[in-house]
Amino acid sequence: MNFLGYDRPDGSAGIRNYVLVIPWGFLAAKICDLVDGTRTILTPDSGSGRTSRDRETIARTLIGLGRNPNVASVIIHTQGTGAGYPELKPTRLAEEIARSGKRVEILDAVKEGSTFRALDKGVQLAREMALEASRLRRQPFDLSHLSVGVKCGHSDTTSGIAGNPVIGSLFDRIVAAGGTAFFGETTEIIGAEHVLAKRSVDDEVVRQILEAADRIEAIAKATGEDIRTVNPVPSNIAGGISSLEEKSLGAIHKSGSAPIQGVLKYGERPEGKGLFFVDNWMSMGSIFAGYAASGAQLVIFQLGGGGLIGNDLLHTSTAAVAPLLWTTANPKTLSRAPTSVDFYSGTVIEGKDTIEEAGEKLLQLVLDIASGTVTKVETLRHTDPTQIYLRDPSF
Amino acid sequence: MTTRGALMLTAKDNVATLLEDVSRGSDVLARLGKETSQVRALEDITFGFKIAVADIAEGAAVIKYGETIGTASRDIKKGEMVHIHNLEGGRGRGDLMKGGSK
Repeated sequence: MNFLGYDRPDGSAGIRNYVLVIPWGFLAAKICDLVDGTRTILTPDSGSGRTSRDRETIARTLIGLGRNPNVASVIIHTQGTGAGYPELKPTRLAEEIARSGKRVEILDAVKEGSTFRALDKGVQLAREMALEASRLRRQPFDLSHLSVGVKCGHSDTTSGIAGNPVIGSLFDRIVAAGGTAFFGETTEIIGAEHVLAKRSVDDEVVRQILEAADRIEAIAKATGEDIRTVNPVPSNIAGGISSLEEKSLGAIHKSGSAPIQGVLKYGERPEGKGLFFVDNWMSMGSIFAGYAASGAQLVIFQLGGGGLIGNDLLHTSTAAVAPLLWTTANPKTLSRAPTSVDFYSGTVIEGKDTIEEAGEKLLQLVLDIASGTVTKVETLRHTDPTQIYLRDPSF
Repeated sequence: MTTRGALMLTAKDNVATLLEDVSRGSDVLARLGKETSQVRALEDITFGFKIAVADIAEGAAVIKYGETIGTASRDIKKGEMVHIHNLEGGRGRGDLMKGGSK
């Protein structure tokens, strides 16, 4: 079970081959407009007016994206509005990314004399780096080189009985083969945390999982609101989910059955491989960039969709450098969004596949996508913006 | 008799998830692995929603995945739909705290 990827100096394998320009801003946006094969993270979260903890989260995200195996080389410009803070100093970001052995260039607008001169320099650099990256050829890598992150969303009752268990089967296969898998969404483990605790490798992981769920539940209670008016979200309730506990107990099936090796912060890179719980927020605008910063080359959205309001075009990837794959087990969702959904696991409900059979088919698709086949939404040249998961108040 | 019926996930479950739309009065096949039982639907229920496969008394736990997903907010008869009108979630309920919205 191999895929064809790009060999990186740190031993990882890219499934895509991008030049990354960070942080977001005029220079990054314009360079990416002009130069093919480039990516940036489209986010207004600059760090300005944020606490040191939140600034460190932004730095961790940017550094993690730079170190992501899908990135061949990185340009860091000095015009980020958070660049004056120690955590977000361009030289610090560059040093940490360069530890992966990748080429990292700093684009200094002051040194160049003006933003537009810096743009000229940046475009030339990006073109040179894109050309350099294109000389790499894909070569076979085994599954131990693959990391994936998942979120389940607009969940309905097909998610808990088929969609999520099929993702779980995929995760079990990847982890058994030595790879890495991330799941998270802390609100959506409330009511199911005792089940995850039993699967944790040691007492410290148990403690961290229970603490994450307790913290979010305490914040929820402090709002004075019934969480059912917030989450489960209206589309969950319209899809048949009646309580947060029911949502959570269905949601955790996407993690499969492997032992949980650790609890990670948003955008934190794991030590070692296996299955990890990420203490993050469910929003698709936030979660995928965090997984990519943790090292995921591919992100998956497992969609219920029974109560989804909207049209047939589902969102494009918000992970900056990692493609997004859509799955659903709901036949109505599939018929509504066939040009966005990559994989249908409703065959499990129809009695045509077992969960394991569908999980194996999904793995084959994941290997194809890892080898270069694009996902359906990846065909579009559009990126939805990213909200980095910041937990402190802003000032 | 329905064809796809409804799915129970463990033997402890007192609700099953419908795999098709059912109309009032139809007999629904409730499946648990290879075992099957029959429940008469007391109302129209849509695909993906839950049907009670046993009587559930007010205040008793509603069980799915073998775990508690909430409590019955009134007596629920076998064959009735189970959703937010007769099931109360117990977690994250800020409205039940002092100064909450309820």
